[in-house]
Amino acid sequence: MKRVGIVFLCVALILGFQGFAMAKTLKIGTLSPLTGPYAQDGTDILQGVKTAVAVYGPVKGYDSVEVIPGDSACDGGKATMAANKLINSGVNVVVGAYCSSATEPAQIPLMEAKVVQITPASTNERLTAKGYEYFFRMPPRDDVQAWSTVQFLEKKLKAKTMALVDDKQTYTAGLTENITKFAKEKNLVKIVAHEYITPGDSDFTAVLTKLKRIDPDVVYMGVYQPEGSKMIQQARKLGMRSTFLSEDAVFHPKFLEVGGPSAEGVYLTFAQAPDTPERRDFIKTYKQMWNAKAVGSYAYYAYDAGMMALAAIVKAGTTDADSLQKVIRGNTWPGVSGDISFDAKGDRKIAHIVWVVKDGQFVPFWDPLTGKDL
Amino acid sequence: MEWSAFFLQQIINAIFLGSIYSLIALGYTMVYGIIELINFAHGELFTAGAFIGVIVLTALQQAGFVETHFILTMIIVFVLSMAYVAVLGVAVEHVAYRPLRTSSRLSALLSALGMSIFLSNGMMLSQGVSDRPYPQVFGLEGIEFMGARISNGQIFIILLSFALMIGLQLFVHRTRLGKAMRATAQNKTMARILGIDIDQTIRITFMIGPALGAAAGVMVGLQYGAVRFDMGFIFMIKAFAAAILGGIGSIPGAVLGGMIIGTIEVMWAAFLPSAWKDVTTFTVLILVLYLKPAGLLGESDAEARV
Amino acid sequence: MIRQELKKLVIYGFFLAILLIPMLGFRSTTFEPGRAFKTLGVFMAILILNLALKIFRNRRGKEAVVKKSWTERTGEYINRLPKTFTIGGLLLVAILFPIFGDNYVIDVGITCLIYVCLGLGLNIVVGLCGLLDLGYIAFYAVGAYTYSLLNLTFGLSFWSALPIGIVLGMMVGCVIGYPTLKMRGDYLAIVTLGFGEIVRLVLNNWDSLTAGPNGLFGMKRPAVYYPSFSEDGFAWAVYYLKSLPALYYFILVITIFTIVGVRRLDNSRIGRAWIAIREDEVAAELSGVPTTWIKLLAYALGAAFASVAGAFFAAKLSYTNPNFFLFMESCIVLCIVVLGGVGSIPGIIVAAFVLIGAPEIFRGLENYRMLAFGGIMTTMMVLKPEGLIPASRRKRELHENQEALPED
Repeated sequence: MKRVGIVFLCVALILGFQGFAMAKTLKIGTLSPLTGPYAQDGTDILQGVKTAVAVYGPVKGYDSVEVIPGDSACDGGKATMAANKLINSGVNVVVGAYCSSATEPAQIPLMEAKVVQITPASTNERLTAKGYEYFFRMPPRDDVQAWSTVQFLEKKLKAKTMALVDDKQTYTAGLTENITKFAKEKNLVKIVAHEYITPGDSDFTAVLTKLKRIDPDVVYMGVYQPEGSKMIQQARKLGMRSTFLSEDAVFHPKFLEVGGPSAEGVYLTFAQAPDTPERRDFIKTYKQMWNAKAVGSYAYYAYDAGMMALAAIVKAGTTDADSLQKVIRGNTWPGVSGDISFDAKGDRKIAHIVWVVKDGQFVPFWDPLTGKDL
Repeated sequence: MEWSAFFLQQIINAIFLGSIYSLIALGYTMVYGIIELINFAHGELFTAGAFIGVIVLTALQQAGFVETHFILTMIIVFVLSMAYVAVLGVAVEHVAYRPLRTSSRLSALLSALGMSIFLSNGMMLSQGVSDRPYPQVFGLEGIEFMGARISNGQIFIILLSFALMIGLQLFVHRTRLGKAMRATAQNKTMARILGIDIDQTIRITFMIGPALGAAAGVMVGLQYGAVRFDMGFIFMIKAFAAAILGGIGSIPGAVLGGMIIGTIEVMWAAFLPSAWKDVTTFTVLILVLYLKPAGLLGESDAEARV
Repeated sequence: MIRQELKKLVIYGFFLAILLIPMLGFRSTTFEPGRAFKTLGVFMAILILNLALKIFRNRRGKEAVVKKSWTERTGEYINRLPKTFTIGGLLLVAILFPIFGDNYVIDVGITCLIYVCLGLGLNIVVGLCGLLDLGYIAFYAVGAYTYSLLNLTFGLSFWSALPIGIVLGMMVGCVIGYPTLKMRGDYLAIVTLGFGEIVRLVLNNWDSLTAGPNGLFGMKRPAVYYPSFSEDGFAWAVYYLKSLPALYYFILVITIFTIVGVRRLDNSRIGRAWIAIREDEVAAELSGVPTTWIKLLAYALGAAFASVAGAFFAAKLSYTNPNFFLFMESCIVLCIVVLGGVGSIPGIIVAAFVLIGAPEIFRGLENYRMLAFGGIMTTMMVLKPEGLIPASRRKRELHENQEALPED
């Protein structure tokens, strides 16, 4: 009797395991800095993808969807290891990474393993210049952003002199380089100074005082949000008269929170954010799910990446990278950051607009493509 | 802006930055002077002070205290954060340094490093990964003279830090406890023979040094508007360089070192390519140490301390 | 005795409460003591457990002979086996490893081996010669950038660039070593830290040479040349080591060379000179050791090993960036050396695997990973300051002091 019981138990276990193995799980990996100075944006990205999975609901053909987080810590070596770990866990799509210096090395194992990679934040042009067909980019590129900035300076602000400040990191240095290049084309805006700060520093009064003496029409803050928030405060305390302009890394609710009244009147370039009902729903869901006061800028892109990936998998009927990338490229997808469609290189067809901080909020200001106020 | 105003403004910037570095460097120098250990966790103690400061200040602001009793608020904020970090400092000493007092310096160094990682990650987990904004109690106004501007916050902080430094000097040279500290720093065995309680003295050092770091943390938060769990790192390296530059173990040395490092940083960025300011700071440090291996005001009996 | 221990427990609990409640209780602007109490509970549980263990051991241990710790017993057991057996066994495991592991595990293995090389190199400077070097990662960077620049600008292969990288590394080592010859202990620490930062900042700022923060990419992987016979006759064909197992074997060979090299140095006259300097520099000088040269040699050789590791690192990732060479990395390498046991080669190997492999294993803990890392490091140092597998001389030194002092 006992022996029969044991055999029965074994059979039941084996069948049970088969049941487990039968359960088809769709695995989405995320690669973002969950530790380190950019952990806030990294967590936003992870949470954005998780929100997408929760909102999308059940995926046809799969029993469940699992989000596997990976920590890139904005470091190429760690990002590659995390990417390898995700590949081993059998992910079908990876949303990541954040820093371009982490995405670039991580591309190599992911492309070799034929995993579709969608970056919600890396903007360096080189990433889509290598001909990787499984790589897609959600935010617009640095050179596009630089072009929009220079258009704004020439046509709307009609600035004559400009000073650049950057923190010598891949993203920010790339931006200021491109701005310098575009400004030199028509030579309407003269670049009178190009100063540098150290990321992680808190005191920028020395450089700002130097700029105050030069008194340019515009000061471009090519920095990340932690430095940007401090920089604008010090600039106002010094009584600088220049107009301040910054980019999408600073475009974050934290800038408003930490900068406070000093942030008023700062112009920023960021992608369009159409105020659609879907976007408002997403904001509400996100704030509820994560008990957050505000939605980080990259959460929108991550959410769109997640939703699009799921929709594309359903449409393609498979997670095979070749068919998946064809489906993604061949269609336009709805998104909370605007409609999503990609060109042959994997860049998204999206443009920047110029925002301004007014009454403690980000308000759309000007469109570089049309030249019209918003 | 004419050159005179520019120069004056940069001097103000330098004095401000220098006083913050000096305060933090004092913490390093006091601990090193007494147990010959580089307290790697000092940067985290500095950050912890900033966090407690923001917690207390936000609470007081919500209760509406700040407008009505400004001076009292400031006192409460500073006292509470310094007291908290004093306790934390003693705890760190007890857990990570005391058992290793007889072991090699390398092991103690690593224990300090481990503590530093533990504390900074602890703060990341408990207080969140993003910047924590400081209530802007000082605003943007300031005094303007001769074309240079000094904000109210900067005036307050510079005065307070000098007060703390003078207070420390008086404590170390005029009180019994201070004398005990100096004696222990000079020769531990002799001090013990003379009846000084070594453990107690070390504990007190670990209360005062980190407390000064905490005060610096609150000041940094007040002036720069935000605190984050990893902000201690850069300050730690610069303050450590300042302490060594001035001669580690010497209190006036730490102040001098802090001022020098602050001045180099600001003045280089002011007149020369700003990208190289950190390289310059370290190069000057190395040059000074090459010429004066014990630091500017340090004792040259480095032989005795191998 | 128990009363005293209980009193201590209460005091600890009290202070822990003071420390934990403000930090953990105040999130944003609200007061939520729940988390604080939970953490407090965890800490108190650990302390109570510790106390219980002490009581237990006290009750039993009064008559029992002093038993050696289990690590010592395993160490002795391993020592008793014939040397070729252990080394052969380890080699076998190392060689067969990629067959059983997947890409991720091999990747972690490669990284661990790179850090073994770095640890062994730093061991020469810190462990054998006693020079506290906090900027060791600079040599790693020199090796990586040398290979990258030579490969990208001149198309030099890995093998041709390697000697140049080693020589350059050694030169940088001498440059860093020279001003520090007269410095002691902690002054040396900050100066080497400064040098490490200077190298990194120069790499970041010197755009025209190093492409600054963008980093260099597209380096060719190391290649193996093998003779191939075709109709035209004899030729050298190239095989690029692109796959992870191939790279793994490559770094394994490099590591074995490093281990053998460091071992030979350890037992040589130079090694003994280093140890003499570490123990007492003045006495060494008086005994006729040319301290200046020997110290510079320590820096140079340590730098050489790091350059090799750096060149491999750049080749493997096919990408290099100044951010790979932060001060934190120097700290990690120093941790490997001290945690493993200063001067002990097997200790450093084990420590490298533990320090690099463990956080990967602990990825499940996510955010608590680094917290555990820091806590474990401090605990290890407090409990076993001589390291995991200490060099026998070191251990006697450290514990000697402990017995000499009266109990407080």
